[in-house]
Amino acid sequence: MRFLFTVFSFLLVSFAGFAQDNYDVDLIPSNLRNRANACIRNEEITVDMRSPDNVMLNVKKAITVFNQNGEDEARLVIYYDKNISIKSIKGEVYNSVGKLTNKFSQNDFADMSAADGFSLFVDSRVKHYLPSVNQYPYTLVYNYEIRNKQNLIIPDWNPKPADDVSVEKSTYTFICKPIDQVRIKTQNYCGTPEVLTDEKQKKTIWKVNNILAVRTEPYSPAHETYATNIQIAPQTFYYYNHKGSYTNWKELGKWIYDDLLAERKALPPATIEMVKDLVKDEKTDKDKARKIYQYLQDKTRYISVQIGIGGFQPIAASEVDRLGYGDCKALVNYMQSLLSAANIDSYYCVVSAGSEKKSMDPTYASMVQGNHIILCMPLKGDTTWLECTSQKIPFGFLSDFTDDRLVLACTADGGKLLHTPKLTTAENLQIRRADLTVQLDGSVSGKMNTVYSGSQYENQESLIGKSITEQHKLLKEAYNIDNIDFEAVSLAQKKDISPKLTEEVSINIRNYAPVNGNKMFLQLNAFNQKRSIPEIKNRTLPVYINRGYTDEDTIVYTLPDNVIKELIIGQDKSYKGPFGEYVCKASLEGNKLTYYRKFILNDGTFAAAQYNEFSKFVNEVNAADYLKLALSLKK
Amino acid sequence: MNKIFPILFLLSLSLTTHAQNFNFGAITYDDYEFDRKKIDSNANAIVLKEFGTASIQRDDNTGSLELIFEHHVKIKIYNKEGFKEANIVIPTYKDESREETISDLKASTFNNFVETVMDRKAIFTENRSKYTRLTKFTLPNLKEGSIIEYSYRLKSPNLFNFRTWEFQGDIPKVISEYLVYIPGIYNYNVSLRGFQKLTDQKSELSKECLRLSGVAIDCSKITYVMKNIPAFIEEDNMTAPSNFKSAIYFELSDVQNLNGSKTSYTKTWKDIDYELSSYKTLGDQMKRKDIFKDLIPEITKGTTTDLDKAKTIYNYIKKQIKWNNYYGKYAEDNIKKALENRSGNVADVNLSLIAALSAAGLDAEAVILSTRDNGTVNKLYPVMSDFNYLVAKVNIADKSYLLDATEPLLPFGLLPLRCINDQGRVINLKKPSYWIDLTASQKAITSYILTGKMTTDGKIIGTLTTHTMGYAAYNKRKDILRYSSPDEYVEKLDERLTRIKILDHQISNLDSVENSLIEKYEVEFTINDGTNKDQFYFSPFFINTISKNPFNLNERTYPVDLGAASDERIIINVFLPEKYQLLEKPKDMAIALPNVGGRYLFQTGLDENTISISQVLQFNNAIYQPEEYLFLKEFYSKIIQNQKTEFLLKKAN
Repeated sequence: MRFLFTVFSFLLVSFAGFAQDNYDVDLIPSNLRNRANACIRNEEITVDMRSPDNVMLNVKKAITVFNQNGEDEARLVIYYDKNISIKSIKGEVYNSVGKLTNKFSQNDFADMSAADGFSLFVDSRVKHYLPSVNQYPYTLVYNYEIRNKQNLIIPDWNPKPADDVSVEKSTYTFICKPIDQVRIKTQNYCGTPEVLTDEKQKKTIWKVNNILAVRTEPYSPAHETYATNIQIAPQTFYYYNHKGSYTNWKELGKWIYDDLLAERKALPPATIEMVKDLVKDEKTDKDKARKIYQYLQDKTRYISVQIGIGGFQPIAASEVDRLGYGDCKALVNYMQSLLSAANIDSYYCVVSAGSEKKSMDPTYASMVQGNHIILCMPLKGDTTWLECTSQKIPFGFLSDFTDDRLVLACTADGGKLLHTPKLTTAENLQIRRADLTVQLDGSVSGKMNTVYSGSQYENQESLIGKSITEQHKLLKEAYNIDNIDFEAVSLAQKKDISPKLTEEVSINIRNYAPVNGNKMFLQLNAFNQKRSIPEIKNRTLPVYINRGYTDEDTIVYTLPDNVIKELIIGQDKSYKGPFGEYVCKASLEGNKLTYYRKFILNDGTFAAAQYNEFSKFVNEVNAADYLKLALSLKK
Repeated sequence: MNKIFPILFLLSLSLTTHAQNFNFGAITYDDYEFDRKKIDSNANAIVLKEFGTASIQRDDNTGSLELIFEHHVKIKIYNKEGFKEANIVIPTYKDESREETISDLKASTFNNFVETVMDRKAIFTENRSKYTRLTKFTLPNLKEGSIIEYSYRLKSPNLFNFRTWEFQGDIPKVISEYLVYIPGIYNYNVSLRGFQKLTDQKSELSKECLRLSGVAIDCSKITYVMKNIPAFIEEDNMTAPSNFKSAIYFELSDVQNLNGSKTSYTKTWKDIDYELSSYKTLGDQMKRKDIFKDLIPEITKGTTTDLDKAKTIYNYIKKQIKWNNYYGKYAEDNIKKALENRSGNVADVNLSLIAALSAAGLDAEAVILSTRDNGTVNKLYPVMSDFNYLVAKVNIADKSYLLDATEPLLPFGLLPLRCINDQGRVINLKKPSYWIDLTASQKAITSYILTGKMTTDGKIIGTLTTHTMGYAAYNKRKDILRYSSPDEYVEKLDERLTRIKILDHQISNLDSVENSLIEKYEVEFTINDGTNKDQFYFSPFFINTISKNPFNLNERTYPVDLGAASDERIIINVFLPEKYQLLEKPKDMAIALPNVGGRYLFQTGLDENTISISQVLQFNNAIYQPEEYLFLKEFYSKIIQNQKTEFLLKKAN
């Protein structure tokens, strides 16, 4: 009887949800149409945590798509795996006056693997549906329910998924038992949620109304920093036959260490002996670690396999030892095991990787904040970080992929947040010196030497190990100048904690400085022009510059004899401000014309009102970078 | 007589050894020491040996015939860049009733004669989509200098295309050998594509290689050998790699049945015409005039000429049926359903168009073709699997128009660029089919006209009018429609053009795709800061400046395919505030590509107080041969050099 009743009431609810609303597009207030490609008319997300291994997610959504660009928001994508079962999906499509034109169900979905291209295997799959409607606007209304057989990761709430979407109404309801302990992270939500409690359940409801679409502004902070977001982390959890409990990073790190890592560390005795033998002549732990790291880089390569809890748990160190490959978790765990064979302590660290810096939230521990693993060696007073998935990266260097952010170190004593070292504006260098001879016909040739370091170390790293033909092709992309040709190319790396890459090339650019009548037009800055950025009126978001750098270019041109040196007019420029510094100048000594350019971009967050100053600075640099000198020639 | 025998025997022996698979794991010292300079000193990995066999066999359990394909490869890895060759993906086909299967997969890595065998556990299968399954594996214990070897057997129910063999891959190969056993009752059309030549090809008889209903059937045993094959490297501006990659293709022509009758598969065009005209998802759909009969009077109301009728019907279908992004030469179900769902694949959309045109009494035909990414079609005999797309052709008076209603932004008579690929076959329900050239009916045409005056503080204020047609208009419209309104598009444009201010704008014909798209902008350019008023430099190349050479490399292997001819014109007239003298100016130019391939004209003048500039850049061909690449490069280089030079103006008196 009870079963029947549930089904019946569910039917009623869903009918009520669909039938009562009018999806006439004219009913959308005009302010919600402004700058919007789509408008979420109504969204109701309900997460019902019935037990740790049974969390129901019910999503009801009505979204109006105004034009083709809004289609992405109408795309219905549901990821699932063995831990997630899809209970029901159904939906309807309404035309602009709100008349029903089409219905769809799970059968209309495309089902495909969620593999992300570089994985050898991923067991998660995706169901995907996009209605084919050729007349805008239209409204898509759907309802789906899925069951999560775990509660370590609770679906969160992002009522406004993108800048070009407006929201009429969105609701998020979280249901649990009154005795369940959960932590809630609230970001950019005004007011307090409504809480309804009876003896069986506790309901917490968040609501937003009338959020307008906005224009996307360049150099903005990450979307999640200014968007509304609610995240929930239950204290006791269940995940792929693992149980645990945490309220902070210390406890979460402890669980990861004890439950996911500890059993994966054993190495075959022969490998332990090999490590001991490998490092027997090294004096310090750091030297030993360097040797072991070299061994790791020679032996392993990155291959990703993600099955079940394998998304969070590495394959055993002994497996990596045998196969010679693994993903970031497996390779870090393996390196950690090798280090411990030499009695060197290290931490398995979860990080959110990417050039855009993202930290673990110190006030809110949860499982989904990282996407990569790195290794930290707390050598006495000399903490050293290792990226274990690259066979090229120097020992102790993290690169801009994981620099300057909080990471979770999972240790036997529990988790702790550590900060990775920052690559600073002053360290992120590209220093170039070129000596070029200008011929009578305007062709130039000579040698160019460029040293890259800090976050710029990797600018040309992809050239290393490539064949000569490929190097020439890549160089032509990097220095895309008409008629440029490269002769000798040499690349040297200084691989240590502050690595340097030195690129030395012989170049030849036919007709670089064209001759017209008795003038030769020479653009002094041949290799490094700053791109212009948009000028934006009424900026709303702060200006965010993720990473700073410093470029210095010196080019010495040996001019041909027929240039009348007396007529060379300098066009020196210099700008300085909160965003950085720029200097360009030309000086003449005999027949040698020296061009010098320095550009510094500072990182940081600046007030929205300063954007105009920023774009003016960059665009002045851009204009100065293209200045040409008209050299007068003797007749 | 006796003497001849042993020689013959020896000969056949050498032939058989020649056409034999090599032993797995038999790595030699020469393999480790193989000098890549012999074939490509730049290679990161080289296929030392590759051997494939394909035959048709009877499955004893099901009794049905299947294709058995065996593939065996040995690769030398030189450096870390070559490690990706050890990640292997074998795609197989599946559907509800049939599937291809992989078995006997083994793989090993060899380091200094020590073998590491790959675990069975390391093999993964992934159902990529409804019709594709991927078998993936990677080799263990890989080092620089390793040799990897793998082999597998693939069973396929698809006898029609036998098994394609790619001689050329993304790394060079020392030798690639393909041995096929084709039962005498099967007749295949075989074609070799690509630039590389076969080193050797041998045929002999293989007795009783297949037994069918108790009858033993002999096979032709054919060996195809290619040696020292360079890596296939894709270049910019090229059509499908399959057009150029060296490979051998098969298509079943006919089967001799045991009862003496013959079933034809690949036939003459005459047979194909007959079949297609009554085919449920092609010819039958072309005939469904009934669906549109009642609609036509309403759709074509107010039109007088046949051309106008055709245009309104084309617009109606564009609006009515949305393309679901699937290609196809056959309807998914039928066009009635497509019209009801208002959605369908390419064939659904265009067969509806044909049926509707016919319903209106117009002469409409179907054209089947292969898209650019699908390669060109075989012209010697019909290979239906080469075709993947269908468009409409309507004949009005003595003119004909190719129509594709899947792209609402294309004008009547212009096919999308993806269809511009050599030739297509016109299918007429009543007449024999024939080939037709698939060329763009319109050039990509752009013209810029700027009329303005220069102010004393170094600005040009004026009106810039742009007209675009053909693919240029298509791309521009797509670009504008990416924004929620044209105003927003202009706002973004204004933000991006940092030295130009857009004061006012007007975009016309955005929706009327038959007409050229017109954009009119009131603009303000900053030429200089106005500090040096008596004498100053001024570059006339501020509209669509060419600063990068798109053909910057020194050699080219495959043809350069630009899709369509193009024509860009710029006309500038600037009224100067005072009387100036032109001290220097960029050279007037008139250069051309060989064989009327294109031209660039540039001319300036100062007349009274007006500076006038006119520029024409034309590419007359869609395709340029590899030997023309360096001409293209030099052509652009000349333009770039000229565009670096400037006017020098001096105030008169």
